[in-house]
Amino acid sequence: MQQVAYHRAASEGAALALAAAHPGAAFIAGGTDLLQLFKQGPAAPAQLIDISRLPLDRIEPRSDASADAIRIGALARLADVARHPEVRRGWPALAQAIEASASPQVRNLATVGGNLLQRTRCGYFRSPDLPCNKRQPGSGCAARTGENRLHAIFGTSPHCAATHASDLAVALLALDASVHVRRHDAAHTLPIAELFRLPGDTPQSDNALGPGELIVAVEVPVGTESRRSCYLKVRDRASFEFTVVSVAVALQIEGDVIRSARLAAGGVGTVPWRLAASEAALAGARAEPAAFAAAAAHAADGAQPLSQNGFKIELLRRAVRRALELAR
Amino acid sequence: MTMVEDRSPRRYEAALKVTGAARYEGEIRTAGMLHAALVTAPLPSARVLGIDTAQARALAGCVDVLTHENALRIPPAAFLTLCQEPVVHFAGQPVALVLAETLETARAAAASVEVRYAPTPAITALEQARATAFAPRTAGLTATDSRRGEPEAALAAAAVSLDRRYTTPTHNHLAIEPQVVLADWDGSELTVHTPSQAVFAHRTGLAKCLGLDVARVRVISSYLGGGFGSKGGAWFPCLALACLAAKQLGQPVRLELTRAQMFTLVGRRQETVQRLQIGAARDGRLAALVHDTVAQTSTYGEYADPVATPTRMMYACPNVATTHRLVRVAAPQPNPVRAPGEGPGSFALESALDELAYELDLDPIELRRRNFADRDQHAGLPWSSNGLLECYRVGAEAFGWARRPRTPGTLSDGRHRLGWGMAAACYPAYRIASQAAVGISKDGRVKVRCGTQDMGSGTYTVLAQLAAEALGVPYASVDVALGDTLLPEGPYSGGSMATASFTPAVEEAARRLRSDLIARAVADPRSPLHGQQPDQVSVADGVMRAGNRSESLADLLARVAPQGLEATAAAAPEAKPAKSFFGFGAVFAEVRVDPELGEVRVARLTGAYATGRILNPLLARSQFVGGLIWGIGMALHEKTVMDANLGRIVNDNLADYLIPVHADMPRFDIHMLTEDEPHLGSGGVKGIGMLGTCGTAAAIANAVFHATGRRIRDLPIRLEQLL
Ligand SMILES: Cc1cc2nc3c(=O)[nH]c(=O)nc-3n(C[C@H](O)[C@H](O)[C@H](O)COP(=O)(O)OP(=O)(O)OC[C@H]3O[C@@H](n4cnc5c(N)ncnc54)[C@H](O)[C@@H]3O)c2cc1C
Ligand code: SF4
Repeated sequence: MQQVAYHRAASEGAALALAAAHPGAAFIAGGTDLLQLFKQGPAAPAQLIDISRLPLDRIEPRSDASADAIRIGALARLADVARHPEVRRGWPALAQAIEASASPQVRNLATVGGNLLQRTRCGYFRSPDLPCNKRQPGSGCAARTGENRLHAIFGTSPHCAATHASDLAVALLALDASVHVRRHDAAHTLPIAELFRLPGDTPQSDNALGPGELIVAVEVPVGTESRRSCYLKVRDRASFEFTVVSVAVALQIEGDVIRSARLAAGGVGTVPWRLAASEAALAGARAEPAAFAAAAAHAADGAQPLSQNGFKIELLRRAVRRALELAR
Repeated sequence: MTMVEDRSPRRYEAALKVTGAARYEGEIRTAGMLHAALVTAPLPSARVLGIDTAQARALAGCVDVLTHENALRIPPAAFLTLCQEPVVHFAGQPVALVLAETLETARAAAASVEVRYAPTPAITALEQARATAFAPRTAGLTATDSRRGEPEAALAAAAVSLDRRYTTPTHNHLAIEPQVVLADWDGSELTVHTPSQAVFAHRTGLAKCLGLDVARVRVISSYLGGGFGSKGGAWFPCLALACLAAKQLGQPVRLELTRAQMFTLVGRRQETVQRLQIGAARDGRLAALVHDTVAQTSTYGEYADPVATPTRMMYACPNVATTHRLVRVAAPQPNPVRAPGEGPGSFALESALDELAYELDLDPIELRRRNFADRDQHAGLPWSSNGLLECYRVGAEAFGWARRPRTPGTLSDGRHRLGWGMAAACYPAYRIASQAAVGISKDGRVKVRCGTQDMGSGTYTVLAQLAAEALGVPYASVDVALGDTLLPEGPYSGGSMATASFTPAVEEAARRLRSDLIARAVADPRSPLHGQQPDQVSVADGVMRAGNRSESLADLLARVAPQGLEATAAAAPEAKPAKSFFGFGAVFAEVRVDPELGEVRVARLTGAYATGRILNPLLARSQFVGGLIWGIGMALHEKTVMDANLGRIVNDNLADYLIPVHADMPRFDIHMLTEDEPHLGSGGVKGIGMLGTCGTAAAIANAVFHATGRRIRDLPIRLEQLL
C-alpha cells in the first residue's frame, strides 16, 4: 500500500474545492469498495477526500408543481434507504434491490453514491497483476478468453466485458431516476442511464463524471409505476452474493392493460441494461402471462455471449417473466 | 442402541473466547520483532533469472530480503523448500521474503522487489494432460489400487449396469484465522508461536531443516481459528521459511498470510474426475463396482486422496476394482481437506447408487440395505461395530422418508419443487499414539497436560471432561494445558483421530492418579479412610468415600503431598488390528429448487450417526453440523476457479469463492446413536469431524434429481445446470 494524504471535508463546498485543487484525488464515502480497490491495486489515489460526514444523507419525499419524487442524498446509507417507510411504499424495487445487496454490515456503511460508482467484480480486475484493460489499459482482457461465467452479454467491446455490479443502479434505471452532480463551479443533473459508460476502447473509465465531480443526490419520480415495481435477483447462494442475473420492473397498469413498462437488468450488461424490446412488447398489452412471456422472449435480443455465460440469455428471459409476474 | 443424552459440560474456553481473553498465536508480539512479506511468482512455471532487491532495500525500515541466492540452506526435504532454488512450480509461489520493521514497509518493499523470470511450458489444467496420468505410491493412507473378484466379467454379465462420470472441483480450506507465525530465535533456542494442527510434527520438521536439536525448538499453539487440514504439513514450507529467516537474521520474525495467499500456499482439495461403473442384479444386489479416479497433483509433490475407500469396503459386492491416478499440473500442491477422499468419493458412489435405485425402481434405502456388508469387504475383517442399518432406520423416521413419492418432480410448494434425497456416510476410525498427564495440587485443582491441539472443535473441553470423570472431580476444577511441545506428546489434529487417540491415555493417567490417591489415603493413619480396602473407596466431586467415612482429595494432598501429584500414561493402537474400525451415518436432504430460475437451496438436513462413544453431545452436534455445512458448500457453492490460460486463480477472496452463508442454513436434525465399542481400545471413541461431510453432497444432488429429474454429476451444482 502506498502513502495517501487524507482530507476530511468540513462542508460540501470544501469538498468540491479540495477536489478541484487536487486532480486525481478520490472521494471516500463508506469506503467499502474504495478501500478494497486501494489494497488490491486498481485504485491508487494520492489524496482521499472524506465526504462521509457531510450532511448529504437526507431522504426527502418532495412534491412540487411538476411531479412527485423522492430525493435521496448521495451519502444516505443503503440500510437507511431500504428501511425508509416512504421508500418501501412508493418505490418497493429500491428497497428490494438494496436488501438483496451485500450484507447488513456492508449496507450500514455503504452509501448510495458509492454504490453507483463501485467498480466491477471481474476477478481479473480485482487481482493486482492479471491482464485487464480496465485496470491497466492495453494489458488485454483475460476474461474474454478465460473465466467469464459472470460476465456481460450486452454492451461488451473487444476490450472489456465486465458487468456493472450495482443492484441499486438497476432498480434506479427502471424507476427513471436522475442524478444530481456538482463541481466547485457548476452543477448539473443527468438521467441515470447517462451516468454509466460503455467500455468501448476506454474501459478504464466507468462513468461520465468529470474530474472533481461529486454526486450529491439521486431523484426518483413516484407514480403508479414506481409503486408497482419489484426487483428480482437470481444467484448461486441465498445471500451476500453479487447478482448472476437480476431484473427490475416498474409497471403502470390501468384496468388490466399495461400503459407503460420500464425494465432493467443487472448481471448482463457492462452497464445497467434497459430492456427496450421487452418494454415495447408490453406497452398496451394485457397484464397477463401470455404478454409477459412475449415480452420475456425479447429480453435477450442482441445479446452476445462469451464462452461460459451463454446461459444468461435463457436465464434473463425467465427472470423477466418471473419479475413481471411478481410486479403484477 | 439408544439416543445419546445431552449432559454436556459447556465449552471450557468459551468465556475466554467471547471476551477476547484467549490469545491466539497471531496476537502475540515480541520486542525487536521483524515483519515478513512474501514476494510471489505471477507465473505457473518459470525459472528465476534474477532478483533485484536494491529498490526494496532502499526503503527506510527494510531490513533484509531473502532469496534463493542468500537464504540459509535447508537440507533437501520431502516438502517444497522455499527460497532455495530459482524455480517456480506454481503461480503464487514465494520467491523472496522481505523483512522490515513494520508490516506496511514489508509489503511495500515486497511490491518493489523486481524479479526477472523465464517462463517455462506448463500444464495448467488437468484435462490438458489426462494421458500423463500416473499411479501414486498411495492414496491417503490406503493402497493406490484394489481388486477383488472379476469386476469386468461381472459388469458385462450384470442384469443392470451403469457407467457414469462425476467431477468435483478444487477447494480451499480457508479457515477464518489465517496462517501466521511468530518465530522467536534467541541465538540458541527457537520458540514458534503458530496455529498448528501438529505441534510435535512441526517441531521435528523445523529442528531438522534448521539443523537444531529438537530440545531447542518449542512450538506453541494455544488456540486455532480452524484448520481443516491447512495448518499441518501444508503450512510447513512457509512456516519453515519464517523460522529460517529468524535464525538467519538473529531476530524474531512474524509472517502472516493474506487471504489470497491462503488459496495458493497452504494446500487445497484436489480436483477429481471419477468414473464409476456399477453392475447389479434385478433385485439390487451389487455384482460389480469399478471406481477409477483421476486427480490433480502438483509438479513437485505427490498426493492422492483416498477417494475409493467407501467403494472398496462399504457395500457387499464380490467384484470390485478401484484405481487412483494423478496428473501433474503447475498448480499448488493438494493435501487433505476436511473429509479428504471420502468426501468427493462418496459423492460419486452415493450418486451412482441413487441412479441405480431409479434404474431398478427400488427405494434408495432398500437398495443400500440389500447391499449391507456384514464385514469390511476390503480388509476382510469383521467390523468393530457398524450401526449403518440403525442409522438408516432412525434417519428415515426422523426425516419422514416413508412419505416420499418415488417419482421425481412430484413434490412442490408454490413455485418451488421440493426434492428428497439420501446417502450413506462412512469414515475410518483412526487412532495414533498419545501420551498424557493428569495432576492434582493441594488446593484440589486438577491439571490435564497433553500436547495435542484444539482446532476450535472442543479439545480443551473434552480433555477436562475426561479427567474429571475418570478421577471423580468436578469439571470446573480441571485446568487444561495443550498445544505446546513442552507437554507430553499428544496426537496431531487430523483425520478425525485426535480425540480417539488421547482419550485412552488421559483416562488411564486419571485412573492411575486416582489409585495413587486412594492408596495414600488408606495407608495414612491420619486419614478417615485409613485401613479401608482400596477397591471399596469411591471418588466423586473431589471427595473419597468408603461407607460413611470420607475425605476430600484436597485435605489428603495437603497432608501427604503438598507439592501435588501427577500420573502419566501412554496409549497406542494395536499394530495389527483384528477388526475394521469405521464410523457410519445416513444423511437425508430436502432441497427447494426454483425450476425456472435454477436456484437450489437446502431446506432440511437430517443426519443419523453411529460413531462409538459420544463424549460431549453438544460439541459432537456442532461437529456434525459443521461437517454438513461443508457438504452443502461442496454440493452447491465451493470452487476454486483457475484460469487455464494464465495458470492463475481468479476468485481468491471470500466474496467470489462462495461458501454457504447464514441464509443458506437449513434446519439441522442430528441424531447420534450410542454405540458400544469394546474393540477400539480408544475408550470407545471414533472420530466424528469428517463424517458429516461424507455423503452430504450426494444426498443433496440426489434430492435435486428427485425435485427436477435432472441428474447433476459435476459439482458444484450451479443454476445453469438446471435451466
Ligand atoms: C462483500 C461485499 C459484497 C457486496 N455485495 C453487493 C451486492 O450484492 N450488490 C451491490 O450492489 N453491491 C454490493 N457491494 C458493493 C457495495 O454496495 C459498495 O461497496 C458500496 O455501495 C459502496 O459505497 P461506499 O459508500 O462504501 O463507497 P466508497 O467505497 O466510499 O466509494 C466507492 C467509489 O465511489 C466514489 N464515490 C463515493 N461517493 C461518491 C460521491 N458522492 N460522489 C462521487 N464519487 C463518490 C469513490 O471515490 C469510489 O470511487 C458489496 C460490497 C462488499 C464489500
Ligand atoms: S472484462 Fe474488463 S475488467 Fe474483466 S479482465 Fe476484461 S478488461 Fe478487465
